[in-house]
Amino acid sequence: MTGTVPPTPAHVRRARAVGIAIAVLAVVLLVVVLATMDLPTWTRVRTGLNRTLPPLWRGFTNPDWEVFPLAFGAMLQTLYMAVLGTLLGGVLAFGLSFLAARNLLGGTARAAPGKALLVAIRTFPEILLAIIFVAAAGPGPTAGIMAMGIHSIGFLGKIFSDVIEGIDQGPMEAIRAAGGDGVHVFLYAVVPQVLPEFASNLLYRFEINLRAATILGLVGAGGIGGPLIQRLQFRRWDEISTFLIVIVGFIVVVDFISSTIRRRLV
Amino acid sequence: MAPDRPALAAAAVPRPPLVSRLRGLVSLAVVAAVVAVAYRQTDFDIVALFTGAADFWRFFGRLVPPLSEMGSNWGAYLPQLAKPLIETLQIAYVGTFFGTLLALPLLFLASANTAIDPVTMWVARVLLTVLRSIPDLLWAAILVPILVVGPLPGAVALTLFSIGVLAKLGSETVEAIDPGPLEALRAAGAGRLATIVYAVIPQVAATMVSFVLYVFEINVRASVIIGLVGAGGIGFTLQQRLNFFDYTGVGLIIVVIFAVVLVIDAISVWARSRLI
Repeated sequence: MTGTVPPTPAHVRRARAVGIAIAVLAVVLLVVVLATMDLPTWTRVRTGLNRTLPPLWRGFTNPDWEVFPLAFGAMLQTLYMAVLGTLLGGVLAFGLSFLAARNLLGGTARAAPGKALLVAIRTFPEILLAIIFVAAAGPGPTAGIMAMGIHSIGFLGKIFSDVIEGIDQGPMEAIRAAGGDGVHVFLYAVVPQVLPEFASNLLYRFEINLRAATILGLVGAGGIGGPLIQRLQFRRWDEISTFLIVIVGFIVVVDFISSTIRRRLV
Repeated sequence: MAPDRPALAAAAVPRPPLVSRLRGLVSLAVVAAVVAVAYRQTDFDIVALFTGAADFWRFFGRLVPPLSEMGSNWGAYLPQLAKPLIETLQIAYVGTFFGTLLALPLLFLASANTAIDPVTMWVARVLLTVLRSIPDLLWAAILVPILVVGPLPGAVALTLFSIGVLAKLGSETVEAIDPGPLEALRAAGAGRLATIVYAVIPQVAATMVSFVLYVFEINVRASVIIGLVGAGGIGFTLQQRLNFFDYTGVGLIIVVIFAVVLVIDAISVWARSRLI
């Protein structure tokens, strides 16, 4: 029977060796990192757990429904923030995306500054923007909306410019050949091609922004994060669990609705 | 446009059918209504942003010290930032490592073509959804009061969030594999583990490594900020500077964080482009 199983091919054996080498390296690095990290001793962790786990368990098994209206209202505000932040990002990204589209600017080099700007915006952490806007414009949802709006430009601008670069020239030429002018080309050849993609990605970004908006309140930028961080400081686990149920519930429902619409769009 | 070209006759351009026009109008109306409600409910004041722009730029001015002082100020700060910066990367690495380790069994449980039975599959899926629905910073905020303030809650928070993201991406990949090898091994009588090792893993390994790098990228972004809630790393230093209204320090830390994220992103994007 031994003859029936062919020997492992050389490239598979090489791939396996590389995989094992990477795994060994990763474990060695982990040991080094854990050894140099400023971790608390196990007894300290255990004392902490002994103190926090029983009330935590009590709180999470008995959510306090008294705060449900408060949590729901705060989450609704969070949702509205995400709507406005996404819209703001979409409007700004729409303008910028034309400055990062190779086919409209006539060359990779000319689109490079726009693309680099989009990468920079995308990389700048949202919560830092929120801190800056809170410090400059005062705490509240406006700071959070601005932070989300600016940060969303990076993602949406990249997607929008990719969509514009991938546009099919056929319909544009057809409309020009039929005697249409620039407005006609834009309305009947460009818009119908890019609109579903733009709308779908705006919705996707909205899903991301809703998650982000739940934490912006931690730095005072509005939404459910504000009342939640207060309760975390006072370890009100029964109220915290209600807040978490509301957050997860909202996100799951919004994700479901949004992804259903997105599937129908594209 | 040439002036002598005849204008298009209105009838020559067919109007889109009534149903699609109505659908467009209704969608637009719904979006407009939601935006209007949102605008009122959040007290968002776009005008104030422009009238208050002067304050805003003055604040930015405080983030960046005068050029003459920049050298001395920043020179004094930078060495202090080395330790929290290293801790940040350590948190991201530990979170990615354990996140990957724990995501592996879960992602096979959650994939329709490798699941043991429907019940465990849905339990795994619900668990992953909850893990992903709570953002990493929120996980950190929840874990700081439970575990000791410092890098430990940060690393655990990133582990939990990584499991959710990685298992979700992984199970989508596993469900999209070519079923041929899977069926061949099952027909030959291979057990569940052997099927996964010989039919599934060879097909998804490269993609999975790329996902792990992507999750590491996400974790670096998260680990620079989770210190804001007490979970260690450079974000903790940032929080302290903010509490002291030391805006020069805040500005410098923001620049350093931005630079680190840019560099890690670039490395990760390069590595991923070589993989696939």
